[in-house]
Amino acid sequence: MADTTTSAPRARRIGPVNLRLWLPLLWIALVIAAAIFAPLLAPHDPLEQDLMLERLPPWFIAGSEPGYWLGTDSLGRDVLSRMIYGARIALIVSFTAALAACVVGTAMGLIAGFYGGWWDRVISRLVDIWMAFPPVLFAVLLVAVLGTGLGSVILAIAVIDWTRFARVIRAETMVQARMDYVDSARIGGARRMTALISEILPNILPSVIALLTLEMGIAVIVEAILSFVNLSISSDDPTWGAMIAEGRGAIHFAWWVLLFPLISLFLTVLSFSTLGEGLKRHFDPVLQ
Amino acid sequence: MKPHAHTLDVIKLNIALPNGRRLLRDVSLTLEPGEVRALVGESGAGKSMIGKSVLGILPPNVTITEGEILLEGQHLNMMTPATRRKTVAQSAALIPQDPLTALNPVRKIGPQIVDPLVRIQGWSRSDAEARALDLLDRVHIRDPKRVMGSYPHELSGGMRQRVLIAAAFAPSPRLIVADEPTTALDVTVQKQILRLIRELQQETGTAVLFVTHDMGVVAKISQKVTVLFAGKVMEDAPTPEVFTNPRHPYTRALIAATPSYADLDRPFSPVPAALIKDLHARIAQDDMLYTGGRR
Repeated sequence: MADTTTSAPRARRIGPVNLRLWLPLLWIALVIAAAIFAPLLAPHDPLEQDLMLERLPPWFIAGSEPGYWLGTDSLGRDVLSRMIYGARIALIVSFTAALAACVVGTAMGLIAGFYGGWWDRVISRLVDIWMAFPPVLFAVLLVAVLGTGLGSVILAIAVIDWTRFARVIRAETMVQARMDYVDSARIGGARRMTALISEILPNILPSVIALLTLEMGIAVIVEAILSFVNLSISSDDPTWGAMIAEGRGAIHFAWWVLLFPLISLFLTVLSFSTLGEGLKRHFDPVLQ
Repeated sequence: MKPHAHTLDVIKLNIALPNGRRLLRDVSLTLEPGEVRALVGESGAGKSMIGKSVLGILPPNVTITEGEILLEGQHLNMMTPATRRKTVAQSAALIPQDPLTALNPVRKIGPQIVDPLVRIQGWSRSDAEARALDLLDRVHIRDPKRVMGSYPHELSGGMRQRVLIAAAFAPSPRLIVADEPTTALDVTVQKQILRLIRELQQETGTAVLFVTHDMGVVAKISQKVTVLFAGKVMEDAPTPEVFTNPRHPYTRALIAATPSYADLDRPFSPVPAALIKDLHARIAQDDMLYTGGRR
């Protein structure tokens, strides 16, 4: 290694990296737009039933009605409108629940990884115990105790999934805490806690962001599962999970009721997890 | 701050692990202003632990069980943690062993040198930046402005070590602990870095506690030597004397074990196992007396 020359910045892999970032962002932006402008975008009231128009097929199949682009379900409700309104619930749950899990889990992971000793022992055992429960069963149990409703769903997801953050962040903090730059900061007069927050945390942030986006995808799934078993919010409210549950019975003759919400659920979860990986690369000056 | 003849006094310092294992045994040493003292010994002898005790960065499970550390005449271990932090930050600095991990990878070089000057020394940002540029120039970095705006991973190991030397000297500390600053570098770079530290040290008159395992480095840079074995001081003498007339058999063995580039045919002579065994036995005896006397 020559002493006085700088290594040239590594060539960026423009194609795959950018696609990995932009394709998911595009889909998520679309979902966010649908959620925000639902009343403007939805062609019909998502709750409006019309038994005369039950199980209409989507526009590209004979027998469809104009205006009902993706067909209707067994109660004659517009599938497209329900999907658009369903995006609202999916996003509210995924953002708030993932953020709550992230804040709690990251704090726990930082403390356990940095202070070690009893802090680490207590937090790590807690995580072990927590992870011994099957997550979905745990969620069902929690919602059953807390009662259904948006708040309970969010709380249940946060309570279950903080351990994901705690475990990973703890390990990363332990690695960073051993680095000499932490000592340098402390010699420079920083308290241990200041060193943790201002020196170590920025190094862990790419992982936090990646986990957060991943967790958003997971939250969408958990919410869908809870809706599927009718434990999310009231069964009238349009959620993707409830739509899938409802379409399941009619899959042989009205597959669109199930398929379209399933596709959007799939794309959303996939986007969140791909975006997480893409963002991690994007924010890490070394990986760049 | 009252005037004091010594920059650093370490008096009968003992540190230990929670299980009672002693890492330093009654270590005493002094550093006068402008003096370079080498701290030599094999790995695990506790060399780095002395520097870490002084700077207050011992690992969380290691504690000072006995002894005093005085920085410019001030008792460090009688201070509150906050005062201690401030005192150390104001008058001591570290040149770390591994330049690859000693700079925060997500922060640019500039702020990493400048911020402590502003925060601890209370300089204005423009003064601190001028000082940083000046020092980067003095450690022979060609384009200091660009380096200030770079991330650590954009620099080579040798460059990073120069940056760290600049950062250590920037606040004009009274004491610098250099913890094996050349160990992680290429042999060709080692020499330049060593010369650089000596140059700046002589210009600024900073006292340096130079931790190393390399007797060749000791001869080049220091005026005094402390030889450590298993956390115990074996010999404490002026550098020339250690080489011409080593008093302790362990020191003699260490010098004999140093490979010579001038004479590659000379057979390699490791420290004799019998000597090490004997030393350990004596230390074990000491430890029995030490703990027996206290309990």
